[in-house]
Amino acid sequence: MDKRIPINRLGKFFSEKDFNLEISMGQEWLLGDMNYTCVLYRIDRNKIKTDDVYGETVQDGIIFLPPIEFNAYVGIAAPTNSLLGSTKVDQVEPGNITISVYLKTLKDLDIEINYGDYVGYYDNENFVRYYTVVNDGRVNSDIKHTYKGYKPFYRTIIAAPVGPNEFKAL
Amino acid sequence: MALPNKIKKNIPLKQPVSPFQRREELANLLSEKGTFLPKSLLHADLDSGFLEFVKNELSISVSGVKIPIVDILITTQNWSQFVETWDFQNLDKNLEPPFIVTVRTPEVKFGDPSIKYNIPNRKLYHYAQVPTWDGQRHGMDVYKIPQPVPILITYNVIIVCNRMRELNQFNKKIIEKFSSKQAYQLINGHYIPIVLDTISDESIMDLEKRKMYIQKYTMTLQGFLLDEDEYEVSPAIVRTFQVYEFNDKVKSKKKKKNENLPSDLSITFVLGINSVELKSDYTTDMNISNTQNVKEFEVYINNNFYGTDLTKIQVNSGDLLRFEVVKINDQEASQILIQQKLI
Repeated sequence: MDKRIPINRLGKFFSEKDFNLEISMGQEWLLGDMNYTCVLYRIDRNKIKTDDVYGETVQDGIIFLPPIEFNAYVGIAAPTNSLLGSTKVDQVEPGNITISVYLKTLKDLDIEINYGDYVGYYDNENFVRYYTVVNDGRVNSDIKHTYKGYKPFYRTIIAAPVGPNEFKAL
Repeated sequence: MALPNKIKKNIPLKQPVSPFQRREELANLLSEKGTFLPKSLLHADLDSGFLEFVKNELSISVSGVKIPIVDILITTQNWSQFVETWDFQNLDKNLEPPFIVTVRTPEVKFGDPSIKYNIPNRKLYHYAQVPTWDGQRHGMDVYKIPQPVPILITYNVIIVCNRMRELNQFNKKIIEKFSSKQAYQLINGHYIPIVLDTISDESIMDLEKRKMYIQKYTMTLQGFLLDEDEYEVSPAIVRTFQVYEFNDKVKSKKKKKNENLPSDLSITFVLGINSVELKSDYTTDMNISNTQNVKEFEVYINNNFYGTDLTKIQVNSGDLLRFEVVKINDQEASQILIQQKLI
């Protein structure tokens, strides 16, 4: 049985009620005002088709659980124009996506975002760009993610863009 | 009874295959579908030949899908224009792995033999004689070419992919291709060797970036430059016309006269002298015409006794002639008079 220890930090001017209020207001702003929406493609780690030796997914071998839409605060880095190694191939590489999602949102949807999962984000009505999670933000004990040290309330997930050769959803 | 070994049982009607024929075959390749001269071999020819080598010899398929090869040599200038039309790019106009690219390093260096001392001034050498016919007579054209200049061009063949299996397949292809040190590519009829220098890895290891394997194979093409603008074709000599000139006037050969030779020679033996030596510069007949106060005399030629009281002496050029006299009266001088005649 999990131990449940009440958090009494910042107790003189902050409490669980205040914490929940702040989060509900934040969610209202995020959903009602901003309404950034992502689609999570969780990898079905039991059914995924991988290489026997290297464990890499084979072509079209990624099997995912039913996609789930969720709200989060989204920031996309500027694309970088660079050469691909020494190939002299000039690539305008899309920037990473940074997704800040409330832990409560994840709990309400009963989902978990793990390293290697894919996230789709619609750039426009006709084009969705896919990203793979390269940092799932699981460790969120820092002051920024704990509401000035009260307790963790969101995760920052970083995902790198992928091409259709790796993942193309449907 | 068995025949001796030296007797052939069968006479071969065809010449056996020999290295000479192979050399002829190679020489024919040089001029195939062209003139009698070897085809030009310049930088662009070598580049396109190497690209053909990559496309034909290094292409691979993984899981039944052929890995595309970028159809041009990537240079600094051409990528941005070309990428607009490429057919395996994604919606961002970026190349979608896996793919193989060929990059040429811009600098071209001298090949090994040319750094040693060489014949200066791009001298032309005889390459072939080609028969001609101008409608009236047969002739020959002499084809001359300069010595080719060996060069080294370095290329990087790079595979960009997402899976280790693709890397393995490409690596296997290259290792097998270069298992005997060098591979060959036929460019404009010339066999050009290509050697594998190094294999290096440039895979993207950054955690928060799109991950790709990038592996680079550095190869050196050991080519040479041969510019057909430097060839020379000149007509050979077809006919020769020789002219001799004669003088039809017949002249008798005159005997050489030497004015310096006195016809009469007087040899005087002064008081107390009984022997006189003289050297003959000519071949002459000497006739003793007269003597005075001489009882008898002896003649030596080259210190060899020749005779006593002679009337005729034959002397050759360079002979040393010595007269020794016995005087009648020792208190007086003696004299021998000689008439000379050149022979």
